[in-house]
Amino acid sequence: MLRNRRTEMMVAYILVAPFVLIYGWMFIYPTIQMVRLSLTNGPLIGPGKWIGIKNYVRMFIDPVFRKSVWNTAYFVVLTVVPGTAVAMAIALMVSRLRGWAQSLILSAFFLPYVLPVTVVYLIWNWLTNVQFGILQVPIAFFVGEPVNVWRTVPWFMPGAALITIWWTNGFSILLFLAGLRNIPQELYEAAALDGATRGQMLWRITLPLLWPITTLCLTIQLILQMKIFDQVYLFANGGQTQATMVMVQYIYEQAFQKNAGGYSATVAVALFVVVVVFSVLQYQVLRIRGTR
Amino acid sequence: MKLSIKAALLAAVMFATAAQAKETVVWWDFLGGGDGVRMKKLIDDFNTEHKDSIEIQASTLAWGTPFYSKVQTSTAVGQGPDIMTYHASRIPLAVSESTLTEISADDMKTMGLSKDSFAGATWDAVHVDGKQYAVPFDTHPIVLYYNKDLLAKSGLIGADGLPTGMTGLDNFDAALKKLKADGNQYSIATVTADGSFAFRTIYSLLCQQDGDIGTDGNWFPGDSSAKLAKAVQVIADWVKNGYNPAKTDYPSTVALFTSGKAPLMINGVWEVPTMTDLKAQGKLFNWGAIEIPALFAHTCTYEDSHTFAIPNNVGVTVDPAKHAAVLEIIKWMEGHALFWATAGHIPANKAVTESAEYKAMQPQATYQPLVAHGVFDPKSIHAGVASPLFDAAGNAFTPAINGESDPVAAVAEMKATLDALQ
Repeated sequence: MLRNRRTEMMVAYILVAPFVLIYGWMFIYPTIQMVRLSLTNGPLIGPGKWIGIKNYVRMFIDPVFRKSVWNTAYFVVLTVVPGTAVAMAIALMVSRLRGWAQSLILSAFFLPYVLPVTVVYLIWNWLTNVQFGILQVPIAFFVGEPVNVWRTVPWFMPGAALITIWWTNGFSILLFLAGLRNIPQELYEAAALDGATRGQMLWRITLPLLWPITTLCLTIQLILQMKIFDQVYLFANGGQTQATMVMVQYIYEQAFQKNAGGYSATVAVALFVVVVVFSVLQYQVLRIRGTR
Repeated sequence: MKLSIKAALLAAVMFATAAQAKETVVWWDFLGGGDGVRMKKLIDDFNTEHKDSIEIQASTLAWGTPFYSKVQTSTAVGQGPDIMTYHASRIPLAVSESTLTEISADDMKTMGLSKDSFAGATWDAVHVDGKQYAVPFDTHPIVLYYNKDLLAKSGLIGADGLPTGMTGLDNFDAALKKLKADGNQYSIATVTADGSFAFRTIYSLLCQQDGDIGTDGNWFPGDSSAKLAKAVQVIADWVKNGYNPAKTDYPSTVALFTSGKAPLMINGVWEVPTMTDLKAQGKLFNWGAIEIPALFAHTCTYEDSHTFAIPNNVGVTVDPAKHAAVLEIIKWMEGHALFWATAGHIPANKAVTESAEYKAMQPQATYQPLVAHGVFDPKSIHAGVASPLFDAAGNAFTPAINGESDPVAAVAEMKATLDALQ
């Protein structure tokens, strides 16, 4: 059949148009508006005066902003690689199980993932309550006295990271399990015939073939954890919020509590740039390693 | 009487309408706890009584910042409710954002209320620059809850059946020492995990020394900084001496008190229903609640007020019939505030607190007189519940009351945070 290239292009444009329009309207336009707002001193609602890059100047000398960048980075370090490693380890173990035992254990690990963050908060707040929490028994055993994890600054981020890994691990485990099932069984059989040990099989077959999944998990985790907000907000509420401030929380606080729409947008632009740079960088780095 | 007023109202505002239609009033509140249950009952009663004329369609939203940002954003686009509950302490910010409609003198007359219906500080708290923006429904201060059985054991209950020997900081600390020595795990339970909650106590103690929190530019006038540090030191000392649990959150302090592990507790009057209900189930000791004693020069307690406010929905022309219905609701609620008092809150309407029924309510009637010398949040757009001021208090005071930082340094830090607000 003869095709007219021009009509073909037309059809293609018409087919992608709805997506492009909605994407432009719901994503590109608000992003431009955010950058525009960051150059004003506007409140949360309503117009503001154009103040150029004043907000950006303020941001770079703002100690709370620096703290929030540092805390976000610290949280990312505590969650992304450890979380992915834990998920991989669990997936490797779960994949050795068969039948209902596997389903049971898998659902046990997946269960926290379906909980809303408020429930996660309530469960862990109850577990770690300084007066009545049952986790205070082991804490008191190791530290010597009960510790309010959420009101002791050095404990806060590791605590939040631990809960986040517990909470969000189920999804990564599923991804790893899918990856493990995609590795052809013949490879292991061939390796066994060649006299490979289990350690060698893990290092030479399983891990290299899981690399694309690992890359995916790390990227998803990185973007997700850079946007950390809910857990930190809930656990810190009322206490030393500045000492444990993370970037999205700072955006929220400036916009909704301090009514500083302009400055809030400035911090949001900063986070946007950071997320874009890091996800591109990470993807490139991991791709290079993967094609080696 | 009520019917005739309503008829007059309707006649006055509904002359253009031939038939009387049932008016639907959208209501938003942030009352989620025990008081929320009571408010729902009041709303149901109202709806039953007005089933031919007015219907309240109520929604309860999350207390604090979520409620206020929703109100602010929705009124800006004309999608706000017709009536809402509002904290008096949040009115200055709301007015600066044009979120609220002014309550006119005519409105007050229609509702049969006036300046004389309310305590001075409460009345003042709903005004900004001489204009009234809300109708106070209650006053909710913090009070001192006590375990009568344990206090009696330590000889701290007087002949009148109320706690005694607690006036003045030295006496109060001596009482705490005695309670601790008599084998109580803690002497007093105040929230120490949340400096912004502790701020209510600290602010009361500041006021007791005639200290003040000002507004923008001059946050701590005169020697208020030193007095504020002194107030912080009081709680820090309780924690240091083991009288008060360290880094303990709100629910835990209530649990420590109700389980008899701490014979005293400073908390809001809204915990009264918790005690009443437990007592009714036979699960609580003899208890009471009194005004926080004068630890310094005189008594003075932090309080806030739940008020009724009418949002300024941008672009929406107010229908007089709707406005009349809203006023009728406020009037009715103010008249039925006695039931609201069971939630612990002190009805703002003096006609209610002066009634014989209210005077028979305990412990409400015991602590009610404190409204005569209460102190509200400073009138600043940065003050009020869940405000930057509370936030600054949380950041500065949480470590200070738990002995992790020096109170004087904490006050300086708080001042720096407040000065940086813009």
